[in-house]
Amino acid sequence: MDNENRPEKKHGSLSDTNKKESRQLTVMTIPTVIWFSLFCYLPLFGIFFAFKDFTPVPGDSLFKNLFVNSEWVGLRNFSYLIHNPQSLSVITNTLAYNAIFLVTGIVIPVTLAILLSEVHQRKFQGFVQMALVLPYFISWVIVGYCVYAFLSTDTGVMNSIIKHYGGDPVQWYQSPQYWRVILISLGIWKSTGYTLIVYLCSITTIDRTLYESAALDGAGFFQRVRYITLPHLRPTIATLFILGIGSLLNSDFGLFYQVPMDSGALTDVTQTLDVYVYKSLMLNANFSYSSAAAFLQSFVGCVLLVISNLIMRRVDKDSALV
Amino acid sequence: MDNNEKVTAPEAPVKEIKDNKSYIKPQDSSYNKFTNAIVVIFFTIITIAACMPVLLVIMSSFSTEKSIAENGYSFIPNEFSLDAYKYLFRSGSTLPRSFLNSLFITVMGTAIGLAIMCPCAYSLSRREFRHKKALMVFLLIPMLFSGGLVSTYMVNTQILHLKNSYWALILPGMCSTWYLMILRNYFRTSISDSLIEASKLEGATPFQTLLTIVLPICRPVVMTVAVFQIFGYWNSWYPALIYIDSNHSELYPLQYVLVNIDRTIQAITRDAANITGMATVSIPGTAMRMALVVVAIMPIIVLFPFFQRFLKTGMTIGAVKE
Repeated sequence: MDNENRPEKKHGSLSDTNKKESRQLTVMTIPTVIWFSLFCYLPLFGIFFAFKDFTPVPGDSLFKNLFVNSEWVGLRNFSYLIHNPQSLSVITNTLAYNAIFLVTGIVIPVTLAILLSEVHQRKFQGFVQMALVLPYFISWVIVGYCVYAFLSTDTGVMNSIIKHYGGDPVQWYQSPQYWRVILISLGIWKSTGYTLIVYLCSITTIDRTLYESAALDGAGFFQRVRYITLPHLRPTIATLFILGIGSLLNSDFGLFYQVPMDSGALTDVTQTLDVYVYKSLMLNANFSYSSAAAFLQSFVGCVLLVISNLIMRRVDKDSALV
Repeated sequence: MDNNEKVTAPEAPVKEIKDNKSYIKPQDSSYNKFTNAIVVIFFTIITIAACMPVLLVIMSSFSTEKSIAENGYSFIPNEFSLDAYKYLFRSGSTLPRSFLNSLFITVMGTAIGLAIMCPCAYSLSRREFRHKKALMVFLLIPMLFSGGLVSTYMVNTQILHLKNSYWALILPGMCSTWYLMILRNYFRTSISDSLIEASKLEGATPFQTLLTIVLPICRPVVMTVAVFQIFGYWNSWYPALIYIDSNHSELYPLQYVLVNIDRTIQAITRDAANITGMATVSIPGTAMRMALVVVAIMPIIVLFPFFQRFLKTGMTIGAVKE
């Protein structure tokens, strides 16, 4: 009798404890869920800003202002945005910088990772990784001042060098023609180390005997890279590429606002969508306008991400995100 | 204590994920002394170049005002002096206060963030947790959509009333889906089920299991997320730019003091002039600028060697595909 009863009883109590446990586990997620609701989901209502003419009545709550006091205007905010002469240059800037970063963000770290994997001195390898990734953990504000030490008109290193060789000092913060190159190199400088480490870690998981047998069969360095390393890195490259496509309209606010010290003369080359949204919100208090821009950013990014992932899934199933 | 030991002893649950890594060795036939030498030289140059900007700032901060005025910022100061630092720390309360602000924000944000994310990540890593799929979707959606700056700003200021408070600097960056995924992946792969079963049999609730067994074992990954958060908070200036206005400068974190550097230096100079009765002309403004940057960057450079192995774990776990 004892034997007959036991399994059933045990089974029942087990499922009970499971239920109880699941409940306890649910409770443990509550703080995080609250945080995400407040800081990620609540702002999602802001999508309506883009389709409203936001006219707040002082003293009313945000939701009343948004849903009751403000009128629906359909796509008017977007058409303003598109017909604004500045917008075109802002969007072109954003896309152009991102396209360049997308390419350099793959080619440079992959090349460096492959080269660095050829170094057998492990200490040196570690040191190089550390030195190259350091910029990633320095804020754009500080980078801005590092740049200032080079480019300051009176005291910068660049002008000292130019003067030393008898040239005329350049007013860097007033000369937009140099800033595309400066901003791109800074973007590369700051991000390369991080991706380099990701790729290098991926390379170290490749079985070295593959290289050995390839080398014995007479494959040179470039052939080994072409037929062993690159195919192995393909999924990682694809992942980072898809994510990069998804953020084609996003830009690093610090790089484009703080590093050029918000210099008015440079606006044409430094103004990207994020800077534009910030300025129209903070300086002109233009809510509808900047939320239309932000909506565009989020929406286009999402669509691009899904499309590129779909294409990638067709081309190479292993490399797609989902 | 005895109980814990009984539970943890029989297993050896922590496995370094390094096992399957392979590196090139000098005796390999794919190894070439000549290539190696060139690559080493190449990376030495790149590493030095990458460190230049930071080096320049550090060296400049030790220059005297006179040598900067004559020769500009330079890698080797003509005259060595600590004046800039003396002024920074002597004058008024601006700098020490903002340093403490940054410290407070960093500690609070990291501690609270981990306290709410670890339990959630643990739940996500458990099979018994029934709402796992739903919660995952809930956490992944914010990666695709965001309300954008405008509505985030409106929600945080008008609904959550965060403007001009420390919470505006702490709360918005506290959690992220990415951190949660890193924690969950590690919890899932490095803790064996039998260990958790054993702890359950001892009558521990999931939360107790997390505290007494999971977290001690998973200290590396907790440190990893902590380090990312520490650097993130220390470097953050954007929330201050948006949520703290100039009437509340006592809340400024160090990085934002740097954004407002000119105003800050004026204030310090004025204070210093009042305190010491010195003429403002002799106060090292240009060197002070760089000294301020060094004060902000030093904690990162000092902690970096200790933190870098955790950072590497984060970068590589983060890049692993599901």
